[in-house]
Amino acid sequence: MPTPVSAARQCLTEEAARALEDAVAVARRRSHAQTTSLHAVSALLALPSSTLREACARTRTGAYSPRLQFRALELSVGVSLDRLPSSSKALDEPPVSNSLMAAIKRSQANQRRHPESFHLHHQIVHGQQQTTSLLKVELKHFILSILDDPIVSRVLGEAGFRSCDLKLAIIHPPVSRFSRTRFPPVFLCNLTDSDPGRRSFSLEVSGDENSKRIGQVLLKKSGKNPLLVGVCANDALRSFTECINKGKGSALPSELAGLCVINAEKEISGFVNGVVSEDKMGSKFKELGNAVEQSSGPGIIVNFGDLKELIEDGASGDAVGFVVSQLTRLLVLNCEKLWLMGAAGTYETYLKLLGRFPSIEKDWDLHPLPITSMPLKSGLMGSFVPFGGFFSTTSDFQRPFSRINQSFTRCKLCTENYEQEAAVVRKGGSTISVVDQCSEIVPWLRMAELDTGKRVDVAKAKDDPATLNGNILGLQKKWNDICQRLHQAQPKLDISRASSQVPSTQGFHYAANGKEGSSKDSSTSENQYASPSPCMPTELQKVFPLEQNIQLPVASEAESCNFKFSTYSIPHKNLPPNCTSSSSVTSVTTDLGLGTLYASRSSEPDSPELSAHKECLQHISGSISTRVDAVRESTLHQIAYSSSSSGPNMGGRSDLRDFKLLWRFLGDKVCWQDDAICSISKAISRCRSGNGRHCGSSLRGDIWLTFLGPDKVGKKRIASALAEIAFGTRESLISVDLGFQEWVHKPNSIFEQQELECSDTEFRGKTIVDYIAGELRKKPHSVVFLQNVDKANNLVQRSLSQAIRLGKFADSYGREISISNMIFVVTSMITKHNRTSLSSKELVEFPEERILKAKGYQMQILTEYAAGDASISNGMNVRVTPQKGVSNPSSVNKRKLTETCDSLTQDETFEMQKRVQMSRSYLDLNLPVDDLSENVDNGDSDSDSIRTNTEAWLEEFLEQVTEKVVFKPFNFDAHAGKILKDISLQFQRTFGSDAMLEIDYEVMVQLLAAAWLSDRSKAVEEWVEQVLCRSFAEARQKYNLSARSVMKLVTCEGCFVEGKPPGMCLPARINLK
Amino acid sequence: MEKLRGIVPYYPIKKAKPTTPTHLVCYLLLKSVKRQNTNLKPHPSSLFQKLSVLYLMGNSIVEALNVRVEGSGQKFLVLAHGFGTDQSVWKGILPSFTPYYRVILYDLVCAGSVNPDYFDFQRYTTLDSYVDDLLNILDALGVDRCAYVGHSVSAMIGILASIRRPELFTKLILVGASPRFLNDVDYHGGFELGEIEKVLYAMEINYDSWVHGFAPLAVGADVPDAVREFSRTLFNMRPDISLFVSRSIFNSDLRGVLGFVKVPCCIFQTMKDVSIPNSVATYLRDHLGGHNTVELLDTEGHLPHLSAPALMAAKLHRALSR
Repeated sequence: MPTPVSAARQCLTEEAARALEDAVAVARRRSHAQTTSLHAVSALLALPSSTLREACARTRTGAYSPRLQFRALELSVGVSLDRLPSSSKALDEPPVSNSLMAAIKRSQANQRRHPESFHLHHQIVHGQQQTTSLLKVELKHFILSILDDPIVSRVLGEAGFRSCDLKLAIIHPPVSRFSRTRFPPVFLCNLTDSDPGRRSFSLEVSGDENSKRIGQVLLKKSGKNPLLVGVCANDALRSFTECINKGKGSALPSELAGLCVINAEKEISGFVNGVVSEDKMGSKFKELGNAVEQSSGPGIIVNFGDLKELIEDGASGDAVGFVVSQLTRLLVLNCEKLWLMGAAGTYETYLKLLGRFPSIEKDWDLHPLPITSMPLKSGLMGSFVPFGGFFSTTSDFQRPFSRINQSFTRCKLCTENYEQEAAVVRKGGSTISVVDQCSEIVPWLRMAELDTGKRVDVAKAKDDPATLNGNILGLQKKWNDICQRLHQAQPKLDISRASSQVPSTQGFHYAANGKEGSSKDSSTSENQYASPSPCMPTELQKVFPLEQNIQLPVASEAESCNFKFSTYSIPHKNLPPNCTSSSSVTSVTTDLGLGTLYASRSSEPDSPELSAHKECLQHISGSISTRVDAVRESTLHQIAYSSSSSGPNMGGRSDLRDFKLLWRFLGDKVCWQDDAICSISKAISRCRSGNGRHCGSSLRGDIWLTFLGPDKVGKKRIASALAEIAFGTRESLISVDLGFQEWVHKPNSIFEQQELECSDTEFRGKTIVDYIAGELRKKPHSVVFLQNVDKANNLVQRSLSQAIRLGKFADSYGREISISNMIFVVTSMITKHNRTSLSSKELVEFPEERILKAKGYQMQILTEYAAGDASISNGMNVRVTPQKGVSNPSSVNKRKLTETCDSLTQDETFEMQKRVQMSRSYLDLNLPVDDLSENVDNGDSDSDSIRTNTEAWLEEFLEQVTEKVVFKPFNFDAHAGKILKDISLQFQRTFGSDAMLEIDYEVMVQLLAAAWLSDRSKAVEEWVEQVLCRSFAEARQKYNLSARSVMKLVTCEGCFVEGKPPGMCLPARINLK
Repeated sequence: MEKLRGIVPYYPIKKAKPTTPTHLVCYLLLKSVKRQNTNLKPHPSSLFQKLSVLYLMGNSIVEALNVRVEGSGQKFLVLAHGFGTDQSVWKGILPSFTPYYRVILYDLVCAGSVNPDYFDFQRYTTLDSYVDDLLNILDALGVDRCAYVGHSVSAMIGILASIRRPELFTKLILVGASPRFLNDVDYHGGFELGEIEKVLYAMEINYDSWVHGFAPLAVGADVPDAVREFSRTLFNMRPDISLFVSRSIFNSDLRGVLGFVKVPCCIFQTMKDVSIPNSVATYLRDHLGGHNTVELLDTEGHLPHLSAPALMAAKLHRALSR
């Protein structure tokens, strides 16, 4: 219920109330029924000096010029306002909409949480009014919570502003605004005066930072003699001495004013190099002593120059010793008035001096002062003149407009915006249902849900015209409403077009929906195709629903319920604009929507609506209608599902309740995991038939499954099969490997080609959580497949915990996405009984890890003479050569691990090390010490605690999932045996029973990988029959074989399969030598 | 009202009672000294001076440089951003550290998020002034020991800070660090003086187009989001300040003083970094005085924490726990 403006005004301070009134005025002017947040934003932006405008100005992304960006913002606000329905009668004060009222309430709560600012404000603004019991919302908080409104953030987003940035900017008001009354922070340098209120540093300070720093050292009680160290130390020393001797004492602290520097560097360097005699040197020291005694000021600084002179090879040891002792003596005699000073180019020089005179640091009371930059006057800094703020206003560059347009034409963004729009529709459009405002189920789907009949509250059922006998008119009206919103969400594709208000049409409802359903399928071009339609005359658009409805069933039949949006375009071209424009068309659409309900009730297959539909179809195109007819007979629910267009969910739902269907479907895809599939099917059908997870009193639509144990391929395949059966397409699978950081890119890996391991390019620049959240937003109905959940990082852990508890997935910014109706599948190699996943795989000839590394090599057949005894064993004349470097394939796995390290490629070595890290159960002395120490040494360190944290989290997380499913390992050895037998059969058939065939281990791995991956169970057998058999025949003709010769089937190292049969990772032909 | 609001934060004595023990001591001292001898002109190096500096600094610098302390944990971790960014650059990796550390974030005075009025062209000619700021912040927060992660210029600042106050730092993690950008006789820093002059000239002439060219180059990896983010923060800087800072960065040379660093350092180097050749990482490892390691990140660009936050976070965790 909208709130009267006066009631809302009571919650606001004067300032904020004024903003609200402006908003109301905007709504009135546009004769809108309600005042929404958008009106408020529009009003706030209209003021030339509003907080919001200023915040926008400060946060605008640098990519666009400010003028353009503001223009874009105004445009997008205007467009969004245009989209709002206008009321029939002009209201004097359009009441405040629920969303805006909610924003006010939020800001009230927010303000209550920050009482300090509230009090402060009231002191200032209200003075004596502090006693008011009602908390009045400040403008700042008001704006902040308006920015939270999704429709507002979408509008801002279109113009390239991020509402979170804006919020930050509002929370932290610009300091420059107060720059006249504020003071710069009190830094060390400008605190010579104890009064912080006065600007205590003056601009006429000369002398550079280095000199200042030297001065600070000179002031110290101990360690007062600076030794400048650094590449620029000598320059700094020179500039300092010059500065002082020229009388520019400002470099020195005031206490030391009058200090002078006596340079002894020339004498010292000359003396140690034997140029200057000892007498002369002695007299210089005497002179220094006298100078100190006679000086009237604070004293003198003796500059002994570069230390390099003292420690250079050319310097005589005695001379240096003399200099050092003399200087020490001078210092002891006149410790109050004498300073020493020098420079060293590098730390190493200083270190050498220390090595030669270990006590010199103490004797000379040295303070090594790092000097890291050239004096101001020289070097790069020289030419610099600060041009304070000169550029800051001139960045108004002419940018190609495509830049700004880019964000509008991009399909992804468009879909995202659309989804946000849908969220708004959900909130704003369904005011009747208070129960689950945040539910992901879109309104029209909620109608469909009615047929479950139990969990829908009465009020909704009453108001909602979706009951069987409910009046179609009401439904139509509602749909009109929805479609109007949805349709108007479309013109975002083209901002210029959007600005002109397009009359609402039925047709676009489907367009929009279709897009949602097939957001992944429809390519950009298709989407762009959709965009021109708003320009069509209304009459033509009325045809659209029909076209849409014709096409969808066909499409759904065509390819596994995959109703592609592209089909939409075909009739559009074919139909002349004047073909049909009867009012009955509209009604058919509505009826079709109702058909959903019939279908899922599955009681009246031949409803009048459908026959009407059929008639219409025939009227337009006979051929299509017959197909539809056929479809209708067999898969009635699919028509319904596709005609309701939001239906993947729906269609899925009716399927998913059927345990047997599910079981059979999954079993077809993955034949070796019977037990697992059985429990998965049970869990899902249980959940979908209403006995699922509950959150509070309401039923939760999300299902959480955990696949534990080995068989990566099986898990993935089951997940994609689930996506297919639950949501219509395999595309609705969001697959993320949480352990992706441990991946090593393996070129030509079979598994990588099969997209079992997606590349991490998608993750670049994003945290995994944000990536997942983005995908969830893109595909709101999908199976989320998270592999290696045990390797999830902290952020993912937190999001997952929250998601499983509350049904909302939060990204790293805290934005939440509802996940109801999604199926989450998390996998982990770790099973409960077997924490170290590797230990069970001992004594297995073909471990899963090895298979996963299979590469799609080309194969070849070689021939050799058997050197030794090649007797036929086990009645088979085919055998597998042991893995390289392993004498006995059944030796203990530990050993194999290290041995393969030596022989196999580098990435495998890397993996091995990694595995050692992971399991931590092997201590392998052959591995580099670094890795070992990393693993073993961090006993009580952080990483260990992180690890235990992860374990604890995993345990807790797994407690909460709907179903834990333990997978069996794929029995590679048995498969290997079977394949060998097949090959042996073929081989004997070609070469007779005497010949021998050796199959390389790598080839076997490849064959097994193919068997594991292929959709058909007989794929490898077929390959053996066709490809291998043919090659054997060729080989027999080509090679001259004797009885002793041994055939070898090996891989061509470095040569990868190119022309392979579709769906296979085995070569289509085998090379012969 | 406006006036009052503007002043209040800078008159902490008037505004609020001291909150931490250090502040309390300063507060009392200040009061007692004032009462006893109003004519006393404090000697600059007196205790009074130092304490009052600390006290006043405590609030103002923390506020001026947007210091934030986030997370829960025993140990402190400083995340210091580099040139052209501000503390928001850490947002990708921050959440993975808040459960284990108290993370200190701050903006360098040259960052776009700091009031440009605070940037004193006289003062910030050398990195030492930045070091002052860092140490003052740590003192104001009462930090006695912390791990430090510094990126580019902040890595240099961290090195200098650890020379001055070795006891303050447990570990330095230097991301994209270089002691010297210019080439020298036996040193390859990656830039020739002429090149630098050209770059600086380009900056001076047209900051806008320079940013558009520089941002993708610096980010390196093909991550449009990161480029956009880096451009944003670059643009936030006032052009003259950013020009001045880059001059002072190119002007500085830490090679001679690396040996003073006794704190263990971990040098993070990406596979390809336009501003830092890989030899620099080795140079740092060989010349820094403590126990050093080089960590090669399997990504590209000068801003791995922006372009590959997940990888960076994992590596940082590892490096910090060693």
